[in-house]
Amino acid sequence: MLRCSMPQRISNGMCLALLVWAQCSNALAEDTSKETKVAKDDKSIPTKVDEVGQPVRLEVFPSSVKLTSARQAAQIIVTGHYADSSVRDLTLLAKFASSNSKVLDLRGTTALPTGDGTAEIEIEVGGLRAKLPVQVTDFGKVERVTFENGALVALSKQGCNSGACHGSPSGKGGFRLSLRAFDPKLDELTLIREDFGRRTNALDPDRSLLLQKPLMKVAHGGGLQLSKNNPAYTVLRDWIAEGGQADPVGQARCVKLEVHPSQPRVLNRPAKSQQFAVIAHFSDGKQRDVTQLAAYSTSDEEIASISNDGLVIGHDRGEIAVLVRYLEHIESVNLTFVKDVEGFEWKEPPANNYVDELVYSKLRQLRYQPSETCTDSEFIRRIYLDVIGILPTLDETLVFLANKSSTKRAELVEHLLNRPEYSKFWALKWGDLLRLTSSQVGVEGVHKYHRWIERAIQQNMPYDQFARALLTSSGSTLENPPASFYRTSADMNDRVETVSQIFLGARLQCAKCHNHPFERWTQDNYYGMGAFFNRVQKKKTLRPDEQFVYTTTAGEVTQPRTGQQMKPWLPGVGSVNDLTEQDRRHAFADWLTNPKNPFFARIEANRLWSQLFSRGIVDPIDDFRDSNPPSNKDLLDRLAEDFVKHGFDRKHILRVILTSRTYQASYQTNKFNTDDTKCFSHQEPRLLGAEQLLDAICHVTDVAEQFAALPASMKATQLPAPDLVKNDFLKVFGQPERQTVCACERASESNLGMAIQFFNGPLIYNKLRHEKNRFRQLMALDQPNHEIIRQLYLAAVCRLPSDKELLASLQHIDSKEDRAAALEDVCWSLLNTNEFLFQH
Amino acid sequence: MRQAMWILVVALVMCQARWVNAVETTSFRKDVAPILLDNCVACHGAKKAEGNFRIDTFAKLKTAGDSESPPVVEKKSDESEILRRICATDIDERMPPEGDPLTADQISVIKRWIDEGAVFDGSAADAQLAAIVPPPVHPDPPVTYPSTVPITAVAFSPDGKELVVGGYHELSIWNVESGNLIRRIKNIGQRVHSLMFHIDGKTLAVGCGTPGKLGEVRLVEFASGNVQKVIGTTTDVVFDAVYSPDGKRLAAGSADAMIRVFDVNSGELQRTIASHSDWIISLAWNADGSKLAAASRDKTCKVFDTSNGELLVTYSGHNQPVKGIAFHPEGNEIFSAGGDNKLHRWKIADGAKSADVATGGEVMRLFRGDGFLFSVAADKIVRQFDAANQKAVRTMEGHADWVVSGTYHVASKRLATGAFNGEIRIWNVGDGSLVKAFTAAPGITQAVAAK
Repeated sequence: MLRCSMPQRISNGMCLALLVWAQCSNALAEDTSKETKVAKDDKSIPTKVDEVGQPVRLEVFPSSVKLTSARQAAQIIVTGHYADSSVRDLTLLAKFASSNSKVLDLRGTTALPTGDGTAEIEIEVGGLRAKLPVQVTDFGKVERVTFENGALVALSKQGCNSGACHGSPSGKGGFRLSLRAFDPKLDELTLIREDFGRRTNALDPDRSLLLQKPLMKVAHGGGLQLSKNNPAYTVLRDWIAEGGQADPVGQARCVKLEVHPSQPRVLNRPAKSQQFAVIAHFSDGKQRDVTQLAAYSTSDEEIASISNDGLVIGHDRGEIAVLVRYLEHIESVNLTFVKDVEGFEWKEPPANNYVDELVYSKLRQLRYQPSETCTDSEFIRRIYLDVIGILPTLDETLVFLANKSSTKRAELVEHLLNRPEYSKFWALKWGDLLRLTSSQVGVEGVHKYHRWIERAIQQNMPYDQFARALLTSSGSTLENPPASFYRTSADMNDRVETVSQIFLGARLQCAKCHNHPFERWTQDNYYGMGAFFNRVQKKKTLRPDEQFVYTTTAGEVTQPRTGQQMKPWLPGVGSVNDLTEQDRRHAFADWLTNPKNPFFARIEANRLWSQLFSRGIVDPIDDFRDSNPPSNKDLLDRLAEDFVKHGFDRKHILRVILTSRTYQASYQTNKFNTDDTKCFSHQEPRLLGAEQLLDAICHVTDVAEQFAALPASMKATQLPAPDLVKNDFLKVFGQPERQTVCACERASESNLGMAIQFFNGPLIYNKLRHEKNRFRQLMALDQPNHEIIRQLYLAAVCRLPSDKELLASLQHIDSKEDRAAALEDVCWSLLNTNEFLFQH
Repeated sequence: MRQAMWILVVALVMCQARWVNAVETTSFRKDVAPILLDNCVACHGAKKAEGNFRIDTFAKLKTAGDSESPPVVEKKSDESEILRRICATDIDERMPPEGDPLTADQISVIKRWIDEGAVFDGSAADAQLAAIVPPPVHPDPPVTYPSTVPITAVAFSPDGKELVVGGYHELSIWNVESGNLIRRIKNIGQRVHSLMFHIDGKTLAVGCGTPGKLGEVRLVEFASGNVQKVIGTTTDVVFDAVYSPDGKRLAAGSADAMIRVFDVNSGELQRTIASHSDWIISLAWNADGSKLAAASRDKTCKVFDTSNGELLVTYSGHNQPVKGIAFHPEGNEIFSAGGDNKLHRWKIADGAKSADVATGGEVMRLFRGDGFLFSVAADKIVRQFDAANQKAVRTMEGHADWVVSGTYHVASKRLATGAFNGEIRIWNVGDGSLVKAFTAAPGITQAVAAK
């Protein structure tokens, strides 16, 4: 990866710079775009008898089938249990037979009624047999297709109302549906009445525009989206044939979705398929198999895909979440696909702590071998950058490298966690999240708010207290700096979105206008949460830069679509009816920081983890949802549990992670882990953050950067706010404006602007030309070239130059008349190496 | 599946057969174009143009797409790409790609036409196929309706005793006093969106069509029910077809965003006005026929000079689709209404709004008569305004569903309105009283529909 080890000859420095940068960007691109190649035959569905193996027990879902109309059907699922306690889905391999074809027929693995009565389905697979009792009633009675549970579900299934199609805010081609049918009233209007009812034709249902368009019988901008064989076609057609009307008042709604299998499964090759069955439970107590109408997706199509009728086929090893959607109901089930890798033999490295144990357990399951531990040079550079944001001094590096103690790494972890720079650097991260800018909270305000955060981190304030202090803050923003939280999140919407993104790991913005398209967050939830925060008010005071935050005792939130007044609502709890507290925020903070809260500890543990690796266990870190499962659930659970157990001690979690072998793994991959991008078998190099990079350049050149009127000793990684001082270099390298609470605002992609900065940007140029920079100081001390080169290497990459590197540099200097200019070249090329630019 | 295979085999045999003894020459417009329209244009039209190949006009049909193979080679069906593709056995090659292949008969028609020289017998090579195919003979309406259809067009007979109602592939004629069905006129487009008698009282202009497929104006002799002429055939429904006050011209507005003006005597197209960017929903002539006003789903209204088709003014004050339009009695201002639930009055000279009145619901149609202006709306209410000053005269309430059509009869001073649920209401404009209410769906009695 770090191929361009430098310096090479730099006679034509400019061209070289571009070349070097190109290589760096390539390396970065390679890191992020590793594609898993899927063998073609891997997409086949299991049909072979040898894939059955020898099950010891069959489990059949459902345990009995009750069909109460000719329009119902039941998906059958047959699971084989094996002696080694593994399971396989044998649905596709089993033989089914109906004992009475006048009651029941089978189409594939689905039971269809043919008349009233009782029957049995005989199931046989792997030498085992099972019987499934079936009862059919009311076969002759017409069961009306409902608008919501039928027509809208069918449109959702076909994706008609997805965000890219007619579900977009302005629709497509003059036809607008609500996004995934979140607003049935609007859809009723659009489908039934709008444009003189032209979309449906009850007198000749098959000629309805609603069907002719997706069938491409009439030109359709979205192309072919429906076939007459789709269950959705039948449903839509029947709904239209029955008059195409809205549902009567009191129509039963779906209240719960039951998915089988409901628990995570591990499928070992040859097992690689899983049929799902989905049962909708309705408010009138009835239930119905909706397998054919539910919509399916998987979190990673490369690992496994799912068909329209709920059959998952694994393509590669790894973990996925299967997402099942029916109206606003979403359920997810995790599946792990395991596949043998040729020549793979697990060698368990010693584990330093539970992090390693849990990471290794996952790696072993998925057949990845962890990388070796990194070198001391790599370690000291990595951990300095991660914990305190800056590079070690030459002395610190030399002392550490020379230290022979077996506990020196753990000691360094402890030392760094207690350095003052630790709290300054982590205050930068929280400054991003809490949007500390002077434009939002004033110059005095931003300094005070920043100092408050820094002090909280320095004192290792337990995270629950930290969150509570922010959420329940009141009073003067200058006397009580966390009250600035309500200056940066100025209104109810902003507060709901900020709180959910920072503390609940959920991006809720979309639920402001409609139900979340991928998650169970609804518009009601959004405004329900808003009811905790809408009473917070601010007023100006006589002091400039100051505002006074307080709460009123009245004021409710109205859901804009329904016009309903919303009760305060909590995820997993529901509407909160009797709040005794005057200030509702306290009730929210009580719920949030409760050790049993399923979000709070996990989100922070994951965020801490993500600061030390190239990704979070859940990634992006503020996008926790069923469709974005953790890459190692046990690990995240354990970290969260440990975090709670230690009283929300963030340093404790950092210590556990930093002392693990997992953290200390080399960035170099081995034969059995190059494909791994999610399971932490090795470290992935990361481009230094803007502030880290600037500090690192200052450190290597030994020329400090002065930030306007801020104290001379202040480093870039310690700036309270990006708008206190304008620095082009920082902007180019992705310093966020702090306009959003999204961690994604900090850009981590490389771009041309960065290349230009390193190519001929003024910042680097001026530092290389500086009269008192590191190599000119050494020249003044009459230090020989090899010593100067040695020191530059130690400063930049925490190691000594190799013989080859040293020789190349010396030759370059010798070839030049101007020694200082030649050393500029050497230093400049060192700054352009991946090894310097990346943390690894 | 087996049947599909069989058809394919027959098709193959047909493809190779020689049709030397064809008696009649195959017509492009009568025989070939209807097949292409039904099976090919959806994917090979202006909207999709799969493979960069279009079939929606004869000129396009002759132009090769991405394959660069000539689609039609005169007299050489075996070198014609379209024939190769409709006969292909490879499912990835065959057209149409999904569903059933063309029937053996359809394939043989196309082959014969090519082998006879691929002669074009339409009016213009760049005209839409839909416009050159002979007018279809529409299927008969259902004897009894399984459910009501929205009443999107109504017209009084000249004597005011009968009401003509747009039905499903038909016009149904009802006795205004009794609400009984008198007779039915067949061979009409699937949906009827406008009905208007010529000043001679004999001919009825019917704006109709099939959503997404066909639009046309049928000129029907009222007494006999015979279709005299079909004009303005296009690719989507005609929403409004209105005679000029002198009865010499007819303007039709359609979902293809075009306004077409015809000479009534000859049936010839005088002018096509392509100024709106979305459906034309309503049209209105001024008293001397010098101006034509249009309301469109593109959220604007426009007024045109009918002598040269030039745009006089665009009114964009609605910000919502506009559905109804009418001239002020003095002729220098326009009333328009639609999705913004407001009646607007504005000046033709500069497009400046002079007044607006809330209408309570989305206005579906606007029409004038006897110094009054009427609106029918989605709030189920019929409103009567003074056309001089848009002051509310009265509202007529009682419809149980959206009111989507209406017409006024001068001599009897009666108003007929039609609702989405199939109900007709006849009102006395003098006092707003209800004369009669009935459900205009043959076979469905009022009692059933009223539940």
